[in-house]
Amino acid sequence: MRNLASLLFAGGLAFLLMAIAALLPFGHPPVLAGGAILEQAADQVGAANIVTAVVLGYRGLDTLGEITILFAAAAGLGLVLGRRRAGAPRDPDAGPVLRTGAALMFPLLVLVGFHIILHGHLTPGGGFQGGVILAAAFFLPLLARPGTPVDHPGLSLVEGTAGAVFIVTGLVALLTGGEFLQPLLGTGTLGTLFSAGTLPILYLALGLKVGAELAGLLARLADAETDT
Amino acid sequence: MMPAGLPFLFYAGAIGLLVIGISGIVLSRNLFRIILALALAEAGANLLLVLAGWHWGGSAPILGQGKALETMVDPVPQALVLTAIVIGVGIQALALALAVRAYRAYGTLDMRRLRNRMNRDIAAAAGIPAESSRDAPAGGRPTPPVPAAHRSGGGRA
Amino acid sequence: MSQIALTIALPFLAAFLLPVIGRVYEALARVLGPLVLLYCLWLVLQLWGTGDGHPVALAMGGFRPPMGITLYVDRLALLFTLLVSLMTLLLWPWQRAADSRECALTLLLAGSASGLALSGDLFNIYVFYELVSVASFGLVAVHRSGAAFVATLRYLVISGFGTVLALTGIALVYSQTGTLNLAQLAQLAPDLLAGPVGLAGFLFMLLGFGVKGELFPVNTWVPEVYATAPARASALLAGLVSKLSLLVVLRLLVLLYQQEQALQLLLLLGVLGVISGELAAWRARDLKRMLAFSSIGQLGAMFIAFSIPGNAGLLAGLALALHHLLVKPALFLLAAGWPGAVERLRGLARGGPLAAGLFVLLALSLIGVPPLPGFWAKMLLVVGLAGQESGYLLALAVVLGAAVLEASYLFRVVAQLYHRDEEAARPRPYLLDLGSAALAGAVLLSAVPFISPLGDWLAGTAAQAGDREGYIITVFPAAGRPLYSAAGGGKPALAAAGPLPEPKP
Repeated sequence: MRNLASLLFAGGLAFLLMAIAALLPFGHPPVLAGGAILEQAADQVGAANIVTAVVLGYRGLDTLGEITILFAAAAGLGLVLGRRRAGAPRDPDAGPVLRTGAALMFPLLVLVGFHIILHGHLTPGGGFQGGVILAAAFFLPLLARPGTPVDHPGLSLVEGTAGAVFIVTGLVALLTGGEFLQPLLGTGTLGTLFSAGTLPILYLALGLKVGAELAGLLARLADAETDT
Repeated sequence: MMPAGLPFLFYAGAIGLLVIGISGIVLSRNLFRIILALALAEAGANLLLVLAGWHWGGSAPILGQGKALETMVDPVPQALVLTAIVIGVGIQALALALAVRAYRAYGTLDMRRLRNRMNRDIAAAAGIPAESSRDAPAGGRPTPPVPAAHRSGGGRA
Repeated sequence: MSQIALTIALPFLAAFLLPVIGRVYEALARVLGPLVLLYCLWLVLQLWGTGDGHPVALAMGGFRPPMGITLYVDRLALLFTLLVSLMTLLLWPWQRAADSRECALTLLLAGSASGLALSGDLFNIYVFYELVSVASFGLVAVHRSGAAFVATLRYLVISGFGTVLALTGIALVYSQTGTLNLAQLAQLAPDLLAGPVGLAGFLFMLLGFGVKGELFPVNTWVPEVYATAPARASALLAGLVSKLSLLVVLRLLVLLYQQEQALQLLLLLGVLGVISGELAAWRARDLKRMLAFSSIGQLGAMFIAFSIPGNAGLLAGLALALHHLLVKPALFLLAAGWPGAVERLRGLARGGPLAAGLFVLLALSLIGVPPLPGFWAKMLLVVGLAGQESGYLLALAVVLGAAVLEASYLFRVVAQLYHRDEEAARPRPYLLDLGSAALAGAVLLSAVPFISPLGDWLAGTAAQAGDREGYIITVFPAAGRPLYSAAGGGKPALAAAGPLPEPKP
């Protein structure tokens, strides 16, 4: 009976959504805002990767809200999980192979992470993608050797300062007569590393913040698992 | 109205994920399954959003690659999906943390049982004798005992 | 007026820096949050004083709409940013000031709530709405009991469900129109969003954004969360956050969906909310859950008000919302001192005459007894409903019946409070909570002689909020005509849009 009800529910929902989707102008999207952005992004922002121009320029306020959500989630997680009790048992060590592998991977991951962050305005990638790789770099040793101490105060220092850099850059624009989050420093030459004004700086701050936050989240969840 | 073939498959994927996810959220009893279903449904919504900018023969919206502006896809949905994914990650991390604590406190991941135990606790805190709950497990099936180590981790830690 | 963005940026900045400052200089960290909120309050008051009452559109990042994100500052948005700063300041978690994370989350709630009130962009609204959600998850779980974790978890799952629905709705609207700017959507809505796709988008967004507004099918988290969360967090959620959800629904209705089906849907959900909420409140046996259920009912009445076509409905809804925003948090703060079943409140008035007196005053206003502002707000709703067709008359009967039920269960509490037989020595409300509640009571009483000027002002605000053409012209000042034609094959007509606007001196 329960299975039948589930089937009916899912089927009805699927039918409804398909009926709606059939009415959408699929494949011929009405690019209104997007079209205008495609035409003007090179002049206004100067980032070769237009998605970056949208993320940090046109929709910078969304991005601010987004990193703040990660921050709020980290704070909420800390509040919910509390502090790890001293002397709680840990997972066993993962053995020499994984330990060595993690030690080898660490510098490479950090390098790749920073590369992706710093070229976010030129090629696919950016602060979020690179930040996740950075977080993985710092989480890997923790997986291989669960006893590795995590420097939570240090992480929260990076997190706080990086977030502050993002907002202060926006506030500088506001206080010098522009609008909040307006890109500064001109656009530079399209396609070069030092172009797109403050965007690379913002992406660096964002990448560090995302990396620190995700690493902190993962470390806390890993701690929670052994804290019984 | 919709051309058969590939585009149909894209939409079927997005809607399939949405339907699986929403059904899972509404119908599942296991907490972990509900959280997974939430992630699936979010993936479906994100796919639907990114499809909003798709068109035949579209190229990535990156300048200096020799592609004309007209062929580039709408960059806005891509930025939106990036934002939506990060939001989803934050919510799922919190959900997992809460699930860990709820399991510590009550020793079960069954949503209905968790809810019964919670209502009993709320009533007890208010000094109301626990009313015979309507959706309690039939036949007075006992809830599994909480290991002592878990019990000490829950409650007002 | 650009400085209004500070009400979003400064609380975020303070929240980011709080853990850093807390390690260096703890005393500063403790007062940083209230100081920032005080500054925001002062800023909004100053902008209010200098503005001429006309709405202003701000282009975030200096990018012209519809490419960038627009903030739309009208009287309603200013009023809500003011209330956000004021309420978070009053409901600041003083008792547990030691935990910097709770302070940080409260600051994030304040900043994102301001953003939600100001934003003129559909996806930006979604982002700030999610931020409000995530910040509130941490705040309602701070008691760290098993029941609090389960309640928060259920709240989170329902919110997550709402997130998915809202995102699906936004995806449908974007697929159909290709823009997220509310003003541009308002231009395109009559052509593109009147069909089934648009209505499905409305249904999804209504359910998604209705979670915090305690809309009928997505409100089962309400009683559990309010029963387990700290009183200050409950007061913030029930008082402030639910009203922001109403504000989002109001903007959607006014700008995007003026067709009858959308209004009928909202009316139906509102009526179901009133019936289920008030009946459950009548059955509830402890005060906190009674207040939680009655909150569902009262928010249902506001959804009913918004479903009345025209400005009369907006006015009634806003009046009800502002009244509820003042009264409900105060009631939650009072209830914090009186835990437990209603029968255990017996004779408490002797121990705390001020608290009991305040409860009576607030309850009377909530029921809608004549000289108090609550009566006037309910009167607007009744008059608005009476002027409409059949479905609305049914809603009128439901609203009147709900008032009778409200009177019945609230008097049950009052009768216990003033019971003479028994000696009572029970915990009284915290002094701080009592003070905040007394402030609300004082505001309520002092509003009585000024009902008619307040009403005129509110009618002006509602008229401004309901002015769709005004919204479009404010955001796109060059164009009384539509900037884009839907018939033009979706090709942007914006090729001639100029470069960045010159920075204003």
